[in-house]
Formats: sequence, C-alpha cells, structure tokens
Amino acid sequence: MQFLLRLYLSKRTVIFIITLVFCWGCKKFVTVTAPATSINSSNVYTTDATAASVLTGIYANLSNNFSGFLPSMSLVGGLSADELTLYSASTNPAYIGYYTNALTNINTSGYDFWTTTYSLIYTADAAIEGLQASTSLTPSVKQQLLGEAFFVRAFCYFYLVNLYGDVPLAVTSDYKVNASLPRTPKVQVWQQIVNDIKNAGSLLNKNFVYSDAMTIISERTRPNKWAALALAARAYLYTGDWQDAELASDSLINGIAPFPLQLAPNLDSIFLMNSSEAIWQLQPVSSNPTNTQDGYVFIIPATGPNNNRNPVYLSNDLLSSFEPNDLRRYGGHWVDSTIGGTTTYFYPYKYKVNDPSATVSEYEMVLRLGEQYLIRAEARAQQGNTTGAIDDLNSIRTRAGLPNYAGANDQASVLAAILHERQVELFTEWGNRWLDLKRTGNIDAVMTAACPRKGGVWNVNSQLYPILLTELQRDYKLVQNQGY
Amino acid sequence: MRIYAFVGAAPGLLKTRPPQRLKKTIRLTALLVAFACIQASALAYSQTINFSGTNVPLQTVFAAIEKQTGLSFFFNASLLKDAKPVTMEVKNASVEETMKVALEGQGLEFYQSGKTIFIVKGKPKVSVESSRLTLNAGNDGLSLKGRVTDEQGLPLAGASVYIKGGSKGTVTDERGMFELKGVSSGAVLVVTYAGYKGQQIAVNGNEPVQVKLALSNDQLDAPQVIAYGNTTQRLATGNTTTIKGEDIAKQPVANPILALEGRVPGLFITQSTGFAGSAVAVLIEGRNSVASGTQPLYLVDGVPYPSDLLPNLGGILGHGLGNQTSGSPFSFLNPADIESISVLKDADATAIYGSRAANGAILIVTRKGKAGVTRVDLNAQEGVGEVARRVDLLNTQQYVQMRRQAIANDINVVGPTDYDINGLWDTNRYTDWQKKLIGGHAQYSTFNGTVSGGTANTQFLIGGTFHRETTVFPGDFSDGKGTLHFSINNVSGNQKFRIQLVGSYQLDDNHLPANDLTVQALQLAPDAPALYNSDGSLNWAPDANGSSSWTNPLAMNYTVYHNKTTSLTSGGLLSYQLLPVLELRANLGYTNLQSNETYIQPLLSTQPELRATSINGAIFGYNNINSWIVEPQLTFKKIFWRGKLEALAGYTLQQRNSKGDQLVGIGYSSDAQLTDVSSAAVIFPSTPSTAIVYKYSAFFGRINYNWQDKYILDITGRRDGSSRFGAANQFQNFGAVAGAWIFSSEPIFHRILSFISFGKLRASYGTTGNDQISDYQFLSTYTAVPNVSVAYQGATGLGPNGLANPYLQWELTKKLQFGLDLGFAKDRVLLHINYNRNRSSNELLSYALPSLTGFQSITRNFPATVQNTGWEFSLVSTNIRVRDFTWQTSLNLTLPKNKLLSFPNLATSSYADNYIIGKPITIFKSYHFLGVDPATGKYVFSDSHGNGTSTPNASTDMITMVNGYPDYYGGLDNSFSYKGFQLDVFFQFVKEKGLTYRFGPLDARTPGTFGLNEPAAILGNWQKPGDVSSLQRYSANRSLSIQNSDVQLSDAARAADASFVRLKNVSISWTIPAGWQKKLHIQNGQIYLQGQNLLTITKYIGLDPESLSSSTLPPLRIFTAGIRVGL
Repeated sequence: MQFLLRLYLSKRTVIFIITLVFCWGCKKFVTVTAPATSINSSNVYTTDATAASVLTGIYANLSNNFSGFLPSMSLVGGLSADELTLYSASTNPAYIGYYTNALTNINTSGYDFWTTTYSLIYTADAAIEGLQASTSLTPSVKQQLLGEAFFVRAFCYFYLVNLYGDVPLAVTSDYKVNASLPRTPKVQVWQQIVNDIKNAGSLLNKNFVYSDAMTIISERTRPNKWAALALAARAYLYTGDWQDAELASDSLINGIAPFPLQLAPNLDSIFLMNSSEAIWQLQPVSSNPTNTQDGYVFIIPATGPNNNRNPVYLSNDLLSSFEPNDLRRYGGHWVDSTIGGTTTYFYPYKYKVNDPSATVSEYEMVLRLGEQYLIRAEARAQQGNTTGAIDDLNSIRTRAGLPNYAGANDQASVLAAILHERQVELFTEWGNRWLDLKRTGNIDAVMTAACPRKGGVWNVNSQLYPILLTELQRDYKLVQNQGY
Repeated sequence: MRIYAFVGAAPGLLKTRPPQRLKKTIRLTALLVAFACIQASALAYSQTINFSGTNVPLQTVFAAIEKQTGLSFFFNASLLKDAKPVTMEVKNASVEETMKVALEGQGLEFYQSGKTIFIVKGKPKVSVESSRLTLNAGNDGLSLKGRVTDEQGLPLAGASVYIKGGSKGTVTDERGMFELKGVSSGAVLVVTYAGYKGQQIAVNGNEPVQVKLALSNDQLDAPQVIAYGNTTQRLATGNTTTIKGEDIAKQPVANPILALEGRVPGLFITQSTGFAGSAVAVLIEGRNSVASGTQPLYLVDGVPYPSDLLPNLGGILGHGLGNQTSGSPFSFLNPADIESISVLKDADATAIYGSRAANGAILIVTRKGKAGVTRVDLNAQEGVGEVARRVDLLNTQQYVQMRRQAIANDINVVGPTDYDINGLWDTNRYTDWQKKLIGGHAQYSTFNGTVSGGTANTQFLIGGTFHRETTVFPGDFSDGKGTLHFSINNVSGNQKFRIQLVGSYQLDDNHLPANDLTVQALQLAPDAPALYNSDGSLNWAPDANGSSSWTNPLAMNYTVYHNKTTSLTSGGLLSYQLLPVLELRANLGYTNLQSNETYIQPLLSTQPELRATSINGAIFGYNNINSWIVEPQLTFKKIFWRGKLEALAGYTLQQRNSKGDQLVGIGYSSDAQLTDVSSAAVIFPSTPSTAIVYKYSAFFGRINYNWQDKYILDITGRRDGSSRFGAANQFQNFGAVAGAWIFSSEPIFHRILSFISFGKLRASYGTTGNDQISDYQFLSTYTAVPNVSVAYQGATGLGPNGLANPYLQWELTKKLQFGLDLGFAKDRVLLHINYNRNRSSNELLSYALPSLTGFQSITRNFPATVQNTGWEFSLVSTNIRVRDFTWQTSLNLTLPKNKLLSFPNLATSSYADNYIIGKPITIFKSYHFLGVDPATGKYVFSDSHGNGTSTPNASTDMITMVNGYPDYYGGLDNSFSYKGFQLDVFFQFVKEKGLTYRFGPLDARTPGTFGLNEPAAILGNWQKPGDVSSLQRYSANRSLSIQNSDVQLSDAARAADASFVRLKNVSISWTIPAGWQKKLHIQNGQIYLQGQNLLTITKYIGLDPESLSSSTLPPLRIFTAGIRVGL
C-alpha cells in the first residue's frame, strides 16, 4: 500500500516513464519482417538458385496454365481461323466470341492473352533489371538467365504484336511508367523483339541447361541459343527480312548444335518429350493432366465432344485442305476421329495422350525444326530462290508421305504452296494459321468465306483481338482497336 | 471512514454469515456473550424474542435479537459508549417491543430497513430511500460520510455524490464509501450512478448517510457498453445502439450478427446464402472506402475478433461485402452466450479505437454469472427451415414450346444433342426441380444449459450449447456445433482487486455439398430425366452412343465440402483500486480460430463415360488465425467543480498471426480414401500459403466531464501504429471531441415544455482510420508459383507477388454527428434522431492498374474523398402499460446517402469509367434498355448518341447509372405482453434496386437454349416481326448471346425494384404461472415459438430480394418451438 501510495504521488513521473518506454518499444513492435512464404525482391537476385527460380517460374507458369495463356493459342487461334469447329453445346462466351469472330471488349474476359502476357513481361523486365544490377551471381549463370529473360520478353511481344497490333512497350518494371503507356507503333515493337532476341542469342548457352542455369542436360525445356535463333527466324520472316530469316533458319538446319537437332523420322515421334526436332519444349508441371493440355483438350472421348473439356474438333475447311494420302490426315497419325451419335468428329492427334494420369511421354512443343524448314523455304522463295524453297518444302512433304512438290515454280505459286504446307503441317500449333493468314494478307479472302460457316460475319477489323474494357479504363492513353 | 473503523476496531467480533446473507449488510454477532443468559431457539429464526438479563450491556441484547431473528444491527461504535446497561425480560415479544424496552431512556432510537436494524441518535427522519445514523456531532463545518449501495447492499464504486447547487462533490470508493467536508446543514445531496435511479437526500446534521440506489427501469438508464467502459443512454455522448441478449434469443439464428438485421439504425446487413456459416455483409453508416475494407472492428469482451476468415474452400458460403473469402467468422460465436451486442457508430464512440474503427465498431459482450443461489437454466429448441419463395418457372409444355420455337427461329432443325425434344427425354414428364432439389426441410435443434450463481465476491457461469442444422437439399448434410462458455468473476474482500475470466470454446463441424443445387433447381429443364433408375442407381440418361444426356444434380452432391473449425475466445480483466480515485486495469485476451477443410471430388460425381479418363481428387485447407491483446489502463474518477471527471489512459499491444495452407491431392485409387491426404498419388499446394503477422500498438485516452448531468464533454484520442504500413508512416493520431447538453435538466425547461421528460442534444466530431489492406503491401516479395505439382526441371519456380508501395498511410475518416434524444411522457416514448456526415479521404485502396504494369492493382493512398451522410431515426414507445398488459413499439429508419466528393484527375485515372464526382461510389454504369426491335426481335439499347443499337459498346454506351445502394431501410418491432404471454412481431424493410431474374439466367445463354429452363416472366416475348415486347426472341444457337449478356448489364435488369418488407421475426412465449412453477419445483418455465424470415412482400423476380441472387440458396424461413426451464 505504501508503495502504491508513493506511486500515486509520483504518478505523473511514472506515466511519463511508462510512455517513454512504450514509445520506444512500440515502433519496434509494429515492424514486421517479410513473411515466411516469400523472398524479398531485394535479395531474390543475389543467389544463383533464387535468381534461376524466377525464370523457372515463368516456364512453370506457361506450362501450367492454358485458358488465357499463350499455350491456348493452339485452341483459340484455331477457333478464330478456319481450323476448328466449336461444339454446338458450348456455352463459353469467350469461345463463342473467338469462333464467330464476334469478340467484344468484354466477352474475352478470362480468355484474354493481354493480361497474362504482360504479367510475364513484367517478370522478365524485373528479372532483367534485377540480374543486371546483381553483383553476387556466378557470371555464367547471370549471363544465361539474362539471356532467358530477354528471350521471354521477345517471345511475349511476338504474340502480343501479332494478336493486338500496336501494343504498349513496357520495358521497365516501374508501374508508374507502365500505368499510362500509349500504344507503340508495330515497327518499334518488332525492333524491340529483334533487339531482345539478338541480346538473348549472344547471352544464352549453346546447350540445354538445367534449372541451376549451368548444368548441361538433354531435356529441351529451357531456351538456349538455338531457341533464340528459331524465334529470330520467325521474327525476321514476319517482318519481311528474308535474308536474315534465311540466315537464322539455315544455321538451325545446317548448324552444328551440340545436341541432335534434325527432323524427326516419322510423324508420331515429333511431339514426344525431347524429340530430336524440338528446339524448345515446355515440361508439364501438372498432375491432371500429367501430359500436355493439348492432348487433354483436343482428343475427343468415344462419347463425342462436350461442353467442358473437349469443346472443339477439326473443321471441314482444314480437313478438306489435305492432299490425298497425306499421312498427317490419314492413317491416324495427326488426325483421329470419334463417332458421337451420327456425327464423326475429327480431332487433332499430334499429341496422343489424353489420359490425365498417364506417365509423361509428351512435352508441349513451342519451337520445332519442321517450322524452320518452312521458314527457310519461304525466305528463299521471297528472295527468288524457288529451287531452294522447293527443296525445303519437299523435306516436309516427304515425311508426310507426299510426293515432291510438282506445281509451278514461279515465286507466287511456290509461296502459295508453302503457305498451304504451313496450314497442314502447323495446324493447331500456337495459332500459326491465324498469324499466317494475317501476315500474308490472305485473311480477308479466307475468312470472308469461312466465317459464315462458323455462324458469323467477317469484318476486316476482326483480325485484331479487342483490348478488354477494363484495360482501356485503367490506362487512359490506351486506344481500342478499330471496330470494338 | 468511521463505520469501517468501527469494524476494524473490533476484529473477530464480526463473524461472517453464509454468503447470501453477508451481502445484506454488516452484521454484529455476539458481543460480550459471556455476560448474558440467553434463552433462544438456536436452530430456526423466529419473529418473536425471548430474553432475560440483568445489567447486561446493550450489545448483548442486540446479539440475542440477531441470533434469534437473523436480523442485523448497524450502528456506530461510539453511540453505545455512553449507553447504560439494561435489565429486562421479554417473552414472545416482537422485535419492536423488545427494542423499545432495551432503548428506553438511552437517547437512542432505532428503525428497521429490510433485515437491518439501524441504531440512531435522537429522533431520526426516516425516508424510504435513505437512512442516516447520528454521528458524534461535529459542531461546525459538517463532515459528511456515507455509503452507496445497490438494493442488495453491494457497494457501488464510482457513484457520484455532490451537493445540489454547490461545487462540492466526490465519487465513492471501491466499498461505496464517500466523505464530503464542509457541507452546510440543510444542503441537498445528489447521488447518481449509471444505470440506477438517482436520489436527492436532504442533509440532516452530519449523520452518515446510507444510500441505496434502485436499478432504473427507465430505458435511458439501461447500461450501455462503450469502448473501454459503460455509460447509459441518458449520459452518452456518442451514437451507440445496443441489442440485448434477450432480443437475440428471440431469433433462431446461428450467427449472432444476423440477429441485428433491421434492428439497428445505420447498420445494413445482408446475408449471402441460406447455409450454416454463410457470409454476412455488414456496413455501418455507409461505404467509406472506394476499394478497401469496409468491415467494422469487432470485439468480443474487449478482445479483437477477426472480421474475415482466411482464403478457404467454402465458396458455397458466399462472400460478404468486399471481402475475398467465403463464410463468416461470426458463425463460430454462439448466440446463446451473448449478453448484448453494441454497435458504435460516430467518432465519439469509435475514435478511441483509432485506425481500426473507421467503419464503426461492434462490441459483443458475453454472459457473466450473477450473485445468487446456484441456478440451472435449460433450453431446448427444435424447428425446421425451408426456402420461403419460389420462382415461377416454365412448365414442360411451355418449355418444349419455347425450345421448338427457338430452333425454328434459328432456321434449324432438332439435332442429335437436343435431348430434351428429340425423343430421348420424355416431353410429357414434368419435374418441379425447385421442390425436388431445394424444397426439403432443414432441421434445427438447439440445446443449451447454463449453470450460474455465486456470492457477492465470486460469481460464475458455465454454459454448454449444442446446435445442429441440416440443409434443404436432398442428401445428408448438416452443421453441428458444440460450445462451452464460462465466466468467473472475483472481487477481493477489500473490494480493491477484481478479476474476470471469460472464455468460449466452440467446435463446428459443417458438412455441405460443394455445389449449390439452387442453380440446378432453377435451370434444369422441366422434362429432364428422373434422378434415379429403377434399380436405385443415379440416372445419367445416356444417349444411343452411351453419352450422358445430362449431369445428374444428385451426382454433384458427391462433391462435398467439409469444414471443421474450433474457435477459442478468451479474455481476462484485472483491476486494482490504487486509490479511491485511481484504478489500474488490464485487459488481456487470446483468440484462436483453427479450421480444417476438405473438399472432395470423387469420380462418382463425373459422368460415367468420362470416369475412365478423369481423375479424382481432394483439396485440404488448414487455416489458423490467432491473436492476443494486452491493454493496460488507468482510470481516474473525481468530482471537480460540481462535475464528475472520468479519465482513462491506456496502451494496446496486439498481434495476429495467420497461417494457411491448401494442398491438393489427386489420383486416388479409390473414392473412399479421398479425405486422406496421404492416399493421394500426387500432393501439391494449390494456392500460395498464407503466413501473416499483423502487429498493432497504440496509446489511447479519454476524458469525460459530466457537469451535474447537464453538460457532458467527452474527448478521446489515440496514437496508433500498424505493421501494415511502411516504416515512415506507421504511426498516426486520431481523436474526437463530443458534447451533450441535457436541456431537460434545466429548471426553466420544465416550466415551458413539461411534456418532454428528457431532452438531450449531442454533437461529435473526430477522426478514425482504416488500415484494412492486405499485410506486407509495403514489401516487394516473390513467392512460389502456385498449383504446380511437378517441379519444372526439379526446381520451385518463383514469381513476383505484387507491386509494393513503401509509402502507404492510413485512410482517414472524419466523422461529424449531431443527435437529438427526446423522452416524452415520463420517458415512455423515446425518440432518437441522428445526422451523420462521414468523410473519408486519403483513401487507402487497391488501386486498379492496367495489366501493362504486370498486375491488376497496387495498394496506395489516394486523395479521393467519399462522403456518407445519413439520417437515423429511432422511436421506442410504450403504447399501453396497464396492470397485466403492455404494448411496446420500436421503429427505426435510416436514410443513407453516399457521394464521391472529390477525385483529383478522375478522368485520367483507372476509375474514370467507374465513378462520377457527386454520385455514389456504389453506382454501376449500365446500358439504357430501350426494348426489343419489332423487326429483328433483338434487344435494343441506347447508344451514346441516343440511337438504338443491338450491339452496344461497353466503353461508350454505358450511359445510365444504377445505384446499388438502398434508399432507406429500417425495422418495426411490436411487443405485447399479457400476464405470462409475450408476443414480438418484427418487420424489416428495405427500399433498394437489384439485379432481377426476369431475363433468365444471368449469363450469355439465350432463352431457348438446350436444357435451360427460364422464369415464366419471359413468356410473352417477341414472336414475329411487328411484335412489341420487352423480351427478345428465343434462340437455341449463339446468335443472340451478346444481347442476352448485354441485357444483364442494362438498367432494365440491374435497376429492378428489389425493395421488400419482411416479417423477419415472430416470437411467442408463455411463462408458466408462479403457482405451477412451485408445484413443478422449478424457478422458471417458459414455452415458446419462434419464426424467422416468415413472410416477404416484394415485387422482385428471383428467389430472394435480400441476397439478390438466383444462383445461391436464399436465407431460409425458419420455425422453431422450444422450452426454457430454470431450476
């Protein structure tokens, strides 16, 4: 009691002291460190392992996701073009929109490539900045990872510029800059793509490396110098730089890679994991399905298509464009069928596993040598070397069980033959058909005829996808594509 | 302190009686027993006295009387100093007779009050309310002492005692004692204590005063819980509404927050679904924040309780307003354990909670034990719940006709997959799917037992509750809860040290289907096949090819959500009276919410033909939120200048740890093992794990000055620190000032407006904050790429987690509030009017960013200002109060208004298209619906130029606004009691707009689509060119899907009238008459009937205007019957 009384007498002093003690303590108390579930951005690029994990994360992301991510271009691009038919019972508004070429600025929601691709670009931008600033990484690791980051950025912009036309060029991770970017003219975007690929090509390892970014392995699941070359060949082809396109594809076809790189001997072995034709594949990271999303979605069960998992099958437009005896069409190599009710549904059968829990035998093919033959063919033809072009064309035709090209060898005929070959060789692969139609200027002619068969009416503006309304609302400098 | 000194001077002479008698008064036992010969029956107390003694001290006589009658004596020792010994003999005499004989010629008098006999000097004035004893007279400058107790004689500490019209005053100490010096004789003493009737006592000499205050039955004096303390409606300066436990008990709800619906002005509550554990949206005085938290602060017995659960798997339970997780944490609190819930609204009431209470605060107080004999209360309640409203859907004939017409409109023919009309399904078949799938009865059972009691010093309460409810779905689903609640209170013998411990532990076991069959109930074709085959197996109605023609809704029931949650809330309160004016207190608390969830998807739920190529799996969720709080406080009470000053200073340390993991297991060899993680072939995390530490500390204080219950000033302040902000901005000051003028206390007022029995004007202004953003937003972090079950190249991928903002600050809400409280006819009618204006600025929000930035948003402060204004009215009236009959009405009404005051650079911000300055932040920009084009049969909307178009553009043609905010809402309660009968009828009403089901399912599917039934409201649509209708033509293909989506975005669908009047609650009870109770040997018996959501009057098309959903189970109509027995 005595003590407490004295305490009261000196109450003010005591309160003052308590206040001081707490004030000193509370600042410390409310400071928290990063949660156990994460790594601080300031130290993620300080060790080889965590820095490599950021790039690995990008590939895992691409591999794991389908709808709304670039890998679903095989389906969406096919629907937009004349490759696939949408099952009549499908209620998916985005699929309906893509299929009937009647997209709006809201119905692609959830199936829109813009959002997910810019998200990958941000990661690549942040990685480029973080890696460049880092001083503690093993030089070879830093070099490889930087190369991968440039490669990923180029890869992403390649699809964005093709799908949306002029797109904002975000090359920094600073949101204050990126939040109000206007569109950048296509030419500049292509320039950026080419620059990034060149950078990547000079930095990347010649070999396939493991997730530590240095151990050489046989798994073709991480981009290397050859992947950069393959993407470069594509970019040059798309920009009409025929000479460089030929050069790039030539070095892939004739170059001396430190691993076997040649056309797979038969159609059924191309899409297997680590096939000799693969330049870059994505390793599946899911357990359902354990193999590729393509096989899971495209291969229609005995009961026919369904609204959820298997909503598409091959269109008559595509089926009828195969030449007789084309092994890609006949013989159950790349096209197979199922009879649902009274209808026979043909479906893509490049990937052959649709059992969601089967042992992994197929990887998602991103870049393959077959395409490079057709790139070189086209580049050669454009430069007047139709003989060389026909040689390359025949390399592909031979494997498909077809006789050598016997048509006219004027430039226009050969180019037309190459485009046709691309249609039947690269169908349902990453939207190649949709992009080819656009870059060659054939799209209006082809789609004006094809679109009504899909239940729509072709509009010249439909060749570019719309930007989602929410994106336009959030970036006031962003302008919508024509017609939306 | 003289009386106390007396007791102290004769230690050992006072012996304590059994506790329940001790509390009556101080008792004098046998004093100088040795000199007395006593003849008394020692066993039983009697009203007559036998005594015989010669020259015995007076005390001996008193002792004998005490022993024989059980009465107690109360007097000052010095009084008997000069008393003469007495010689007397009485036989079978009354107390009065005996005392008269004993005191004859002593100059002493006596009087009896209850079981106490007071001995006084001279000729005392005896008042009903108070009594005094003569003290040895101080001749000049009276020193007045006394004691204030409640009617049971328990001391009232902190009661204010002052001289009327003068400046002297004091407060009672922990024993209820007070001392006033320099009191003039003839002064009038005013004694008040919150919750009790005040008393005025004329001072008569310096006799010690014994004041017993009676509990006030005036509503204005009912105790009201406020932040860190108590007050009454009469003296409150803030805007607080309290709902008592008895009103909660009248409602058969499993989530106590739902019991507040419609009953509190300024509080808007919506229940998301009709499932046990459903999410509840709570909004106090409007939506302050554009895009961050709008949750109030919740405190259970002073301990913060989480307002949101962690990310979980219970999607079926729905989301509350603005929160991203499913379900409600309040379903883990037991309504039966709640004493009261107080809703704190204005700055005065909430500023002391600082940054956590921008959206108001809700204080939940659990039940505590009360002194008295140990009593046992039992309550059993049984009931049923059902879906109260149905949507009028097409019958088979109408459906088939619609389908055929749709296919004809498309210039098509019936195809092989048009199972409903191509002959596979029987078009003569009709199933009322609403009846079949959501037409069942949910069973409600509640059993509750409470044991409580205690002595004056120690009270306890132990309660146990079991509650179980099933669903309206076919199948075996239920939610079972068991709760144990306890409280212990103790006060030390010297009344200085108090300790309170409260705790509740609940186990909740909720089994629900993972899919809400309500969607199927509304959308399945009426000619869809039977659920079962003749052999009892599920019917998949396969076509010729073996392909299932439908998804049997009962197969969806195999996908089961199971949540097992244990919830612990506990709190301790320690206090020590350092000095009569100073008390040291500490609030301690710990809560722990632990949930284990499983979500299983067996192969059985898949169509048989797809099973071979499908995988079964399960998701496992483990969440834990635990938090602790320590709040030391000092309170100070003293009378200054005729007014009572109360000051409070305190400190808060709070920490919350949240931990959550979700694992997916797939590839089981058997469906039977799905609930076992280790039986899965592959296990991987499905979402990033949660690991959050939230820390919070603050200083707070309050000064309350009450000048003679006339002028009251209240000042509160707090300095807060939160771990959610960057180092530079962790701390912020908040404060409020409030004043009240009880003008009815002014003498002049009574002369002018005597019919007004109470009148108070209130005003408050202050600031509160909001820190409801995600944690760690100031840190830029990388986490593992989620949902990866096979590591890419054997390594975990990392990805950036979001954009960081190290400059985050508090959101500030400035609240201004005026109030007028009036009482008429002796407070039989009470009217409360409030006007509030809350302005939130420096908006802390998840600021939307274009995807170009890599993310959808960044958390940042934003200089927008949102204003919420509102009028709140509340009227409580005792209409009739005659001998056996009482009729009470209470009505509340809220008129809210929300407005975006300013938004710098709105036009170039991400929100340019979402908000308009001067308009509410709850607007939806919408298409303006024009009708159906008579030529094409397509919906037509107005474009930005006012021309009609069937393909409006979302970026330019959303030209109308729909306000998603209610215009007004409130409730009306009528309560009747006649003898043992009690009837309560409560109506809730809301005037608002909402999304209607008139245009069919809210998606791109057009009426006429295969397998999709429609509301009957779509009949009368466009049929042929020239038709004028508001509904477009049927179509089975996709040609009209854009228009069908657009109509859902138009004012026609969004701005449908969703106003409703709902008979929310009816409760009838009958208390068994006292005579019967005696015969049955019970203390109390009651039989009752209760009903919830009984009747809804609305023009709304859809299942329920409250949840505004036609794809989730609406809140159920519930009937229960129960019995309460007190032993």
